[in-house]
Amino acid sequence: MGVTQRKDSREGNVVFTKDLTKKFGEQTAVDSLNLYVPSGAIFGFIGPSGCGKTTTVRLLTGIHAPTSGEATVLGKNPVHFSDSDKEKIGYLIQQFVLYPELTVWENISFAASFYGVNPFRRGHLHKLLDFVELAEHERKLAGNLSGGMKRRLSLAATLVHNPQLLFLDEPTAGIDPILRRKFWDYFKELQKEGHTLFITTQYVGEAAYCDLVGVMYEGRLLMVDTPDGLRKKAFGGDLIGIRTTEGIRFEHRRQLEGQSFTRGKVKVINDQEIEMIVDEASIAIPLLVEWSQAQRLTVEMIEQKSTPFDDVFVKIIEKETVNV
Amino acid sequence: MFKFLIRISSFLGKEFVEILRQPRLILTLVFGPFLIMFLFGLGYPDQSRPLRTLFVIEDQDALQEQANLFTESPNPAIISLGVENNKELALEKLARNQTDLVVVIPPNPVETIQSNQQAEFLVYHNEVDPFQAAYVQSIARIYVDEINRRALQTVTEQGQEEAGSAQPSLESALSKTKAIRAALPPADPNAAQLADLEQELTTVNENLTTFRSLGSGVLVSPFAVRTSGLSEVQFTPTGFFAPAVIVLLLQHLSVTFASLSIVRERRSGIMELFRVAPLTALETLLGKFLSYLVFEIILAAIITGLAVWVLKIPMLGQWQDYAVAIVVLIFTSLALGFMISLISQTDTQAVQYSMLVLLASIFFSGFFLDLRLMWEPVRVVAWSIPATYGIRMLHDIMLRGELSPAIIFLGISAIGIGLFLIDWLLLRRHMEG
Repeated sequence: MGVTQRKDSREGNVVFTKDLTKKFGEQTAVDSLNLYVPSGAIFGFIGPSGCGKTTTVRLLTGIHAPTSGEATVLGKNPVHFSDSDKEKIGYLIQQFVLYPELTVWENISFAASFYGVNPFRRGHLHKLLDFVELAEHERKLAGNLSGGMKRRLSLAATLVHNPQLLFLDEPTAGIDPILRRKFWDYFKELQKEGHTLFITTQYVGEAAYCDLVGVMYEGRLLMVDTPDGLRKKAFGGDLIGIRTTEGIRFEHRRQLEGQSFTRGKVKVINDQEIEMIVDEASIAIPLLVEWSQAQRLTVEMIEQKSTPFDDVFVKIIEKETVNV
Repeated sequence: MFKFLIRISSFLGKEFVEILRQPRLILTLVFGPFLIMFLFGLGYPDQSRPLRTLFVIEDQDALQEQANLFTESPNPAIISLGVENNKELALEKLARNQTDLVVVIPPNPVETIQSNQQAEFLVYHNEVDPFQAAYVQSIARIYVDEINRRALQTVTEQGQEEAGSAQPSLESALSKTKAIRAALPPADPNAAQLADLEQELTTVNENLTTFRSLGSGVLVSPFAVRTSGLSEVQFTPTGFFAPAVIVLLLQHLSVTFASLSIVRERRSGIMELFRVAPLTALETLLGKFLSYLVFEIILAAIITGLAVWVLKIPMLGQWQDYAVAIVVLIFTSLALGFMISLISQTDTQAVQYSMLVLLASIFFSGFFLDLRLMWEPVRVVAWSIPATYGIRMLHDIMLRGELSPAIIFLGISAIGIGLFLIDWLLLRRHMEG
């Protein structure tokens, strides 16, 4: 996956925006958005409800024209997409918009038709239904499907024309964690097939599945980075946990806080366990082991802790609020 | 071009399947109008409404002999319930709907006429419907004409009788005149005067003979009337209304289907998907038009078949003219429905607009009130409704066996094309921003 493309350039990025702004009357829905999505990446667009994620997707799909700034998607301004540009894009809407009176098969055939897919070349529709595990339900009316099945049908309908770039607006909203996980398996599979995915979600934890994550809050993009990069930016470094057989005393903690790789205070979990932020976990862990031996402390456990993205997100928002 | 056709066909299939998935709806659409026309035919037989009539003769002793003259009407629209001598009681019965008419016979009619005045009948009814009130007035006028005719006939018969009794005296006078003239010498100056007298008596006698030989009915009503339509077919109420019912039904179905179609898609959010897809407003509109057009043509064929072959509704014109009229009617009605759909914000609004169109069509299309009765400026409203053109075209084709004037066909086509263009522009605004 190429996430190394330049973020200030259209080159190599299927989505690129510069100071993209959308206002509805006096209200600014999207404020000076600058982002890039490299080809073949899964880009997670995370933020609370109403923060401007869907408006951004609508700007990138050409549904809305921007108030100011520019957007380039697949090298074109979305407002002036031609039919062939549109054929390269798949769009999954938040809510279920297909027809409840039609069967699964009829719905997917309808979607294929309005994308202009040749009726004699629709063998892949069965494969698609297989892919989203709906092949056994193709004769069921869409109105009789469960919520999760409807989302899968919508996803299949988004893929009927084999689009290069997929905009998936909250595809996992309102479905159970097991199915959510399955959806992310589908997305990873699609990525392997060469699709680029732009996925919005309210579930902060889903950031971990993405190559790049944009954090959106009140219409502003707070940052774009890899999941690990976000963690680092949120906490100022990597979080490491250490547990020793002996107790970790106050002077030990003072010494650790004085180390060059340590950032901030050491957090006490209990007498024998602490957590601390370091510049780079891979460098700090061997140094910490050496330090423990020098202090005659027996290390029972030392590891880089994976901070829940909920905490990362809260930290980023807190920082941003303080800055504002 | 191929993709254009594929995209149009997507709606053709989708709309069809959505309708076919509702078998009850299809049965209702096919057999509903048939049943309505059938029951209409049963409910409105080809005869005028009889009126139960109570006669009031307040002074029965005075009119004992003439009572029959007033209460026995040969008009089948008047059914006598008898004679009452209390007017108030009769009016109470009228108020309680125990009778439809109360006819108060004028007291002392002979004396009134002899004093050079008209004797007046008072006819009471309890109708609130202006058309029924007009019907009662017309029946009352026919009743009084009949009474007048009978009175004249009686007088005429008396005259003929009296002429009959006078004729022997006249003939005797004529014979005597002839005898006197024969006795006079030809040069007698009185002979010429007697010849004139004889001639006059002969003429009077001949006139009396003619007067007596003519029927009293012919003398009283020498002229009769017989009306005949250009068409040799006698139309029943069902026969007359069936084409209008077909038109109204097809227009209403088209407007309702189309008006709900796009507004639902806008509400569901799929329009957003269409906007991102390589699908144009024209393709969407054409696809939807075609699907409903094909469905309704099939529906119209079944309903027409049932009407013509089961209900025996006359079809005097050409089938191809009928087909063209139906297609143009459906197209224009669909265009109207899609416009409603595009200006409505909700399903409810679309249904309400459709009902308004139906209501306007019932009142202004000539469905049951002849357009010629309408105040001319209001006819503009009538001619802006597709059903007005449809009813005119189907009446001409089915009942007169001829094509409507070209202006009718051009009028509805122009409305249809105009609405289609408006639909296209409105849908473009929704789909293409």
